[in-house]
Amino acid sequence: MLGGIVRGKLARLRTPAEADLPLVNAWMADLRVRRGGHLWAEPAAVETWKERLKEAAKAERTVLWTIEADGRGVGFVQVEMGHEPPPGAYIKYFVLDPAVWRRGLGWDAALALHRYFFDYLDMHHMGVALPADNAAALRIAEKLGFRTFGHGHDVYYRDGAYVDQLEMRFDRETWDERWATEREYAPFPDGIAS
Amino acid sequence: MLGPRILGRNGIELRPPTLEDQPLQLQWLAQPESTRFWSPRSGNWTEENAKERYERFAKSEDSVNWAIAFEGETVGFTGIFDIDWVRRDGESGLFIGRHDLYGRGIASEAVRLRTDFAWRALRLHRVHNWIALQNRGSRRANEKAGYRRIGLFERYGYRSGQWMDDWMGEIFPEQVFTRDRS
Repeated sequence: MLGGIVRGKLARLRTPAEADLPLVNAWMADLRVRRGGHLWAEPAAVETWKERLKEAAKAERTVLWTIEADGRGVGFVQVEMGHEPPPGAYIKYFVLDPAVWRRGLGWDAALALHRYFFDYLDMHHMGVALPADNAAALRIAEKLGFRTFGHGHDVYYRDGAYVDQLEMRFDRETWDERWATEREYAPFPDGIAS
Repeated sequence: MLGPRILGRNGIELRPPTLEDQPLQLQWLAQPESTRFWSPRSGNWTEENAKERYERFAKSEDSVNWAIAFEGETVGFTGIFDIDWVRRDGESGLFIGRHDLYGRGIASEAVRLRTDFAWRALRLHRVHNWIALQNRGSRRANEKAGYRRIGLFERYGYRSGQWMDDWMGEIFPEQVFTRDRS
């Protein structure tokens, strides 16, 4: 599936379009992005990416968004819905253009994404797996409320060495404790039900 | 099937939806303002899928589908679905995508036209629906047309820190015609 608009303060998630695909291809070919964790797919021709986008739109258990800032695509995120109750979801890819790193866009998009899942879809938990050396992503995850519950060894190989992977989860209770004021909508006025 | 063109008051009409209307629905279903009561704000939103959906609606033999137009422009959709032609009962639904036009009476007029068509053209015996209790605009539009509450499904969903309930309503032609005569 493709996702609709989720607004942050600096960035917004929006429905992906074919016009985004050359950017996606460039990010997938960027070694800085490839170090960050899981990739959507390997670089390919635009026609191949169009097929991949159609497949992503049809996939019933995943939702794909483009991350946009200042009117242009700066990344993408795909989340997979859990199979078992209580409802949870798992971040498959969260990619940000290296040209906009260190501007707070990753944090802003991540907070908006989790507000959508916890406050709008009423999720019970979220999950993510991150390379143990991705300091920026780990900082965002921990600030949000993710905690490590598993440690995979020698999961990634690059620059002649293996890197571990941290399995993390973010529970509803933590969201409520830390981010109770983050709302998708203003409360209904009193008497709305009359 | 697609419903016929029905002219209403104040520049509002029901008309058969076109293939060109379908991308509008995709845009509206992506907007937070129009999806408070329509989760999950995600879907298979490709032109290909919109075309398939449109063709399915057009071929359907147990539903009547309309676009809602205001001053000539498509602003939403409505219909009667899952029609049982033996019991002559159907379920109605309505979606105004243009949130900047909320509060203008468009839904009320669309429900009035749709309900009138259900009796006078389809000769249905009953129409029922489910509406979020907190969706006051849509609920009032149906109540004004004559829908009566028959139940409340409490706490069907939790969103933005509040529970939402589902209002169940029904309407019969006698209610409307009696009221029109009185």
